[in-house]
Amino acid sequence: MTQPFLSIRKLRKAFGAFTAVHDVTLDIPKGEFLTFLGPSGSGKSTTLYAIVGFQDPSSGDVLLQGKSLLAVPSHKRNIGMVFQRYTLFPHLSVAENVAFPLRVRRRPDAEVKKKVADMLGLVRLESFAERLPGALSGGQQQRVALARALAYDPPILLMDEPLSALDKKLREEIQAEIRRIHRETGVTILYVTHDQEEALHLSDRIALFKDGRIEQTGTGEDLYLRPATDFVAGFIGNSNFLAAEHLETVGGAATIRLADGSLVSGISANGSFERGQKTRLMIRPEAFRLERNPASAELTVDVVDVAFYGERRRIVARTTTGQEIDIRPTSAAMASQDATPSRRQVFFDPGAAFLFPA
Amino acid sequence: MSVETEQSIATKRMPAGLGGLLPALTLIGLFFVVPVLALLLRSVTDPAPGLQNYTALLGDGTYMRVFFNTFLVAAVVTIVTVLVAFPVAWMLAIMPPALASVMFGIIILSMWTNLLTRTYAWMVLLQRTGVINRALMATGIIDQPLPLINNLTGVTIGMVYIMLPFMILPLVGTLRAIDPMTLRAAALCGASPFQAFRRILLPLSLPGVAAGGLMVFVMSLGYFVTPALLGGTSNMMLAEMIAQLIQSLLNWGLGSAAAFILLIVTMALYALQLRLVGARRATGGI
Ligand SMILES: Nc1ncnc2c1ncn2[C@@H]1O[C@H](COP(=O)(O)OP(=O)(O)OP(=O)(O)O)[C@@H](O)[C@H]1O
Ligand SMILES: [Mg+2]
Repeated sequence: MTQPFLSIRKLRKAFGAFTAVHDVTLDIPKGEFLTFLGPSGSGKSTTLYAIVGFQDPSSGDVLLQGKSLLAVPSHKRNIGMVFQRYTLFPHLSVAENVAFPLRVRRRPDAEVKKKVADMLGLVRLESFAERLPGALSGGQQQRVALARALAYDPPILLMDEPLSALDKKLREEIQAEIRRIHRETGVTILYVTHDQEEALHLSDRIALFKDGRIEQTGTGEDLYLRPATDFVAGFIGNSNFLAAEHLETVGGAATIRLADGSLVSGISANGSFERGQKTRLMIRPEAFRLERNPASAELTVDVVDVAFYGERRRIVARTTTGQEIDIRPTSAAMASQDATPSRRQVFFDPGAAFLFPA
Repeated sequence: MSVETEQSIATKRMPAGLGGLLPALTLIGLFFVVPVLALLLRSVTDPAPGLQNYTALLGDGTYMRVFFNTFLVAAVVTIVTVLVAFPVAWMLAIMPPALASVMFGIIILSMWTNLLTRTYAWMVLLQRTGVINRALMATGIIDQPLPLINNLTGVTIGMVYIMLPFMILPLVGTLRAIDPMTLRAAALCGASPFQAFRRILLPLSLPGVAAGGLMVFVMSLGYFVTPALLGGTSNMMLAEMIAQLIQSLLNWGLGSAAAFILLIVTMALYALQLRLVGARRATGGI
């Protein structure tokens, strides 16, 4: 692909002296499901608002198929959007809400009717066509909003935390619906959430936001297995951070000294470190094993608590220097162990541990 | 909105202590019901028993013209007030709250200023040799003074000015209750600003427009000072006619009948307004 479908170039948005978005650059291919993930206030909505034209960026550009959108008013950008709060038109029936984008485009009645029926079928609300939005549940309202946003076949659909007001069961139901719609329509989706599970579950790629910048863009697997920064490592999945002193790095494999004095080599180093530099070693709880193998590094811990979580167990342990860590070996691995001694070795693959600056 | 809360408080308390309401009921009876009954009585007994006062009023072209003129002025004033109040209310609804409360302060302050003073001020402004005409002539836009006073134009200007707060205040309430995100959603659906206004904002604010408009219309029907000072003799309004019938012509019977007709019309419209407000509550404020 030579020219990306949607392209965000060095987008910056300042509110007075406060910069909410710094130089965000992203290329989004057609048909991708891209999620903006990040803590509250990290600039996700502000970026979306610049794309739809609710807010003019302070600098930078937004291009659709190579053409800048900035001079195009919101109502001519032809982008669909579903908001966090329900924004259905309260005085119009479900069918008229879905028909609204077509009516303002003056499409013929027959076409409107057919499209509304199709859309309500897509979100499975055919039997609710004549209801007013006030007589629908939150989940149904968001499905109507989805149908309305898709009714005019926009090439891009933006969703700003569309499920955050719903309970878990409804959320999962509509997540499945959104995945199905993405599959069936091939629409390009930009999705905002601060729920990492939702992001991992729904998206092709995730852009992780922090303080108005993108920390890392990649597939869920990239972010989980190859975090670019300690923030990414801490935000996606669970992680343990152990204080460590960097000794040397040869060919991307670092050797470090942990706080308890043990040496570990073969660590994946993110960036370059000085000799003697204070660093943090990140190890996923799932990366720990209870049996030694030739390549593994080891750590001596005191077990504090063991809890059963179905396929995995969770061990809370303390290093000899007193730091608490989280270990999640598979339950099968645990079962093959005899009684768990209170002091024991645990093992990890140094290649699955990451070194970050302290 | 305050009308609603007062009503709900009243309906809540009613069954508990009807006895406690007795002083209030007596007061209303003494100062409202009794005079109205006296008025009614007078209209059918003065100068002789019968309905001749009513037939005289409703059968006479001159009187009918006054009735017609009253409704005309009230309607024109209401329409102009709605047209002026809507954008003002919209601005008040979307401006920062701190600034909006300053604006409300100014509006309410103007309501406290003496009515007569405000009307005289308009006389000064609107006269043939008034500020407006002189300014327009000085800038060369016109070379003859515009007839701005002693006609419908003068009455409309003066009354719209007085009625504006009664329209703006309820309308701001209605407009503030509309989620601004709804309008953004409309824009993203492809609605131009005008389409968003016509298809979304206007229908959603209609209850406020109807409530405020009816209030302005009802108040305008019985208005006296402004039409008397800024209007011409050819477009006299009902209140002015009643005053003339009673004060100058000492025709108490005819005056009472005219006043009674005005009262009935006003009460009928007020009942309509209560129904509109009630209907709005029944549909959950939509
Ligand atoms: N109109 C505004 N004026 C001033 N500051 C603003 C404005 N809109 C947003 N901000 C600030 O910009 C920053 C980013 O806001 P934004 O809404 O983009 O965050 P977000 O990532 O969407 O967060 P959330 O997950 O809570 O929705 C926040 O610190 C916010 O306070
Ligand atoms: Mg947001």
